[in-house]
Amino acid sequence: MDAPFPFGLPLPTAFYLTVYVVTLVLHVVFMNYVLAGTAALAAAYLRPGNRGTGESTAILKEWMPFMLSGAITAGVAPLLFLQILYKREYYTANLLLFNRWMAILPVLIFGFYALYLLKSRWLTRRTGCIAAAVAVVPILSVAFTGYSWTENHLLSVRSPAFWGEFYGTRAQVYHDPQLLPRLLVWAVGSVPTLVLVLAWQHWYRGTGRPASLARVAGTGLVLVTAATAWYYLATDDTTRQAFVSPLAAPYFAAACLGLLVQSVGWGWVSLSPALDGRKLLVPSLGLVLTVGGMTVCREAVRIAALGPERFESLFPGHAEAFGKGGLFVFLGFFAVNAALIVLVFWLVRHHSVTKPGPSHNPHGTPET
Amino acid sequence: MDAVLYPVNDFGPVMKGLAIGGLGIFHVFTAHFAIGGGMLLCYFQWLAMTGRSKSARAFLDGYFRYLVLISFVTGALTGVAMWFTSIQVSPVTIGLMIDEFHWLWAVEWTFFCLEVVAGYAAFKYGPQLTDRARLALLVLYSFAAWMSLFWINGILSFQLTPGAWLESRSLWDAFFNPTFLPSLFYRTVAALVVAALVAMVLINLAPTFTREEREELVHRAAWLMAPMALMPVLGVWFIAAMPPDSREWIMGGSIAMTIMLNIAIGASALVGGYALFGLIRKQLYINGATATVLCILAFAATAGGEFVREGVRKPYTLRELLYSNAVRPEQVAALREHGLTEIDPYPLRDEDKLPKLNGRPHPHLLTGALVFRQQCSVCHTTAGVNALPGLTRGWDAEMERQNFAKLQQLKPFMPPFAGTPAELESLVQFVEWWEKGRPDTWPDAAADPTEYADRLARIRRWLDEAGPHPALVRAARSDAKGGR
Ligand code: HEC
Ligand code: HEM
Repeated sequence: MDAPFPFGLPLPTAFYLTVYVVTLVLHVVFMNYVLAGTAALAAAYLRPGNRGTGESTAILKEWMPFMLSGAITAGVAPLLFLQILYKREYYTANLLLFNRWMAILPVLIFGFYALYLLKSRWLTRRTGCIAAAVAVVPILSVAFTGYSWTENHLLSVRSPAFWGEFYGTRAQVYHDPQLLPRLLVWAVGSVPTLVLVLAWQHWYRGTGRPASLARVAGTGLVLVTAATAWYYLATDDTTRQAFVSPLAAPYFAAACLGLLVQSVGWGWVSLSPALDGRKLLVPSLGLVLTVGGMTVCREAVRIAALGPERFESLFPGHAEAFGKGGLFVFLGFFAVNAALIVLVFWLVRHHSVTKPGPSHNPHGTPET
Repeated sequence: MDAVLYPVNDFGPVMKGLAIGGLGIFHVFTAHFAIGGGMLLCYFQWLAMTGRSKSARAFLDGYFRYLVLISFVTGALTGVAMWFTSIQVSPVTIGLMIDEFHWLWAVEWTFFCLEVVAGYAAFKYGPQLTDRARLALLVLYSFAAWMSLFWINGILSFQLTPGAWLESRSLWDAFFNPTFLPSLFYRTVAALVVAALVAMVLINLAPTFTREEREELVHRAAWLMAPMALMPVLGVWFIAAMPPDSREWIMGGSIAMTIMLNIAIGASALVGGYALFGLIRKQLYINGATATVLCILAFAATAGGEFVREGVRKPYTLRELLYSNAVRPEQVAALREHGLTEIDPYPLRDEDKLPKLNGRPHPHLLTGALVFRQQCSVCHTTAGVNALPGLTRGWDAEMERQNFAKLQQLKPFMPPFAGTPAELESLVQFVEWWEKGRPDTWPDAAADPTEYADRLARIRRWLDEAGPHPALVRAARSDAKGGR
């Protein structure tokens, strides 16, 4: 483990870790949109006199159910690989948290339907208080889910002896000094992602004010830097060293560089009166660097927390799973279904009787 | 013994199988509806765009698509919930399945993604699209939804009938196992029926349709139920492909299984009979109340079917690979020499409620409780559904010793006992203690060392007589190898 991720690891382990990280990044992007987006929705409804009428709020309201589906769907893939990589750890944490853990599912279903309610005509006929009450349900359910994942994750890397003790206490809530700072990094880290995706959505519609979007993104970037610093101070030496270990150091550097690129990029974006797709590519690149880099660092932290002996004891299990068939069938269907998903977008875009979406025309097709 | 032991949760009075069964019923019903609903929308779209039905379009733009949307979202989340519940009930089972099938699950996931994207697009943009584009989206959605059934069905049916995989260890033998096809067809038909019935309820509820329009739409929807005529054949096919011992459970060997199967068959027959009779007589009209009753019957059929599906695998969760209590068949003999209670890293939660012996929690009761937790608690409770102390009421300790030692002969849907004679004796003490109302003091079972040694020797003899193998094995294999 003296080489940058994923080199220096046995092939099966490196392979599953890589697909895990890549799919988790996808989950993180959707999850960030949902986490910060539902918070923004709640804030919009809670502000006196505001009934969620702003342009950005309209986009968020429109897209949030789909994005929540996306976060869940995108969560399934890393969940699959997680069970190959850290089977015992993940299952044990699930079992120890028991009802607390299982609660995320009804809670998410609840949050989902609240999102639909928020879009419904029924709600526009209710008082502001009722609307605000409905609007806080999604953020509560999503925040609870995020909290649970962090709690589950931290419990999963504890020692078997600790698990035994924890089981004996019958507790179903796990607390760890790292929990809040870690969660805060996720929470504020979701802001720049949300703003970026939202900016692309605005760009597609020909709406949005670059300066105000950039301001929110900038605030998010400052906050995430501060939260990371707190996390760094609150955590233990093993974790701190994991960031600068040979395994993760290049990725940590990439993540920091990504922050810089995002800041510069947003500065540049804010200069134009309207959103410019080419300029938006810069913070997008920065975001990929940051989220990708941090996801690898997160893995390095877990590996460090488990310790070399425990981590290496997992290798034979990875090798065993690696021997099972089906990879090429997967790759085949992956390609076919990716193409079919593109086809869906194409159908929607080019086969409307009335054109949906963009009021301005970023792609140069004639306006109807 | 290298074994990974997981913490075991107490589901209170609920049998663990019931927890997964209960959720499974809900999940299967919504997921089936999401698949059948897509197909029904395709059919109605085609009726509308070819001018065969005027009112079909109104139906397409109505509430039904909301229901499909809700159900595929709920289906997705309850699908994740099924996964989580399976982990709660048997992490070892799901772990083995993940190792074997992860790429096929990943394939299912790609269809799942397509389903979500196509489903949302059809829902959100459908009414604005050209007819052909809308049909294309609906077909893509239904195809993806059905394909996710296709993949998960192979994985689930493997649990009951691993078939040629046991020898070949080939992924495709595992996937295309003996019950793959009958259960795939069966579920497809079920999906169509559920969708047709729900559609009928909605057609009746919609205020805008005239009586003629309703009749027409109901009649159209009823066509999706025509494949129910195949259900008896599919059922017989499925039962024929089942392992013979599982077949026995549902044919009277286990009362609960047989009742559930009869509910499934009876409810399906009622629904199918009603629809087919009406279709043949060409004057079917199903009003809202009847459609609702038929829906409830379909739900009952689903419930019965899922209960049976979960139940008939006993004593295995993965046939011939893993017992329901996470013991591997090939480990039983070794576990009778060195049991698991000594290496269980998880303490007993109710230790302080046990009587004391020499100032410490009673060692036999403690061990017995651990044995119960490890080996029996997946199917039995201490004081709820299928409670063990209730089942042994009226037995004396010696009967319990002999019957626990020959567990697989007592009821072939139980796995053989997988512990040492001392562990078995402790289990007997534990069950007796419960039967006697958990008194505050309990004698030392080993107070007389010679008598205790004799007792263990008797248990050892019974264990040996019963052997470490399950009472029933696959017919073909026992023929080939002259039995085990
Ligand atoms: C795979 C699930 C399963 C496991 C594991 C299991 N049992 Fe059972 N057991 C059952 C079922 C099902 C019944 C039938 C209940 C009925 O007939 O109502 C049963 C019945 C019994 C009976 C009553 C039998 C009779 O003839 O009345 C006893 C005694 C019993 N089990 C003991 C045990 C003990 C002891 C263990 C653990 C070492 C155990 N079982 C593990 C499923 C299981
Ligand atoms: C929409 C609500 C959700 C939110 C807000 C959310 C949030 C999070 C967060 C914050 C983490 C990181 C935990 C940490 O490292 O501290 C995480 C990890 C993860 N999430 Fe989600 N999540 C959501 C839903 C889901 C669902 C439904 C699934 C599964 C289907 C899922 C699968 C995963 C997986 C597999 C990980 C990695 C866990 C690990 O490596 O230990 N997520 N999620």
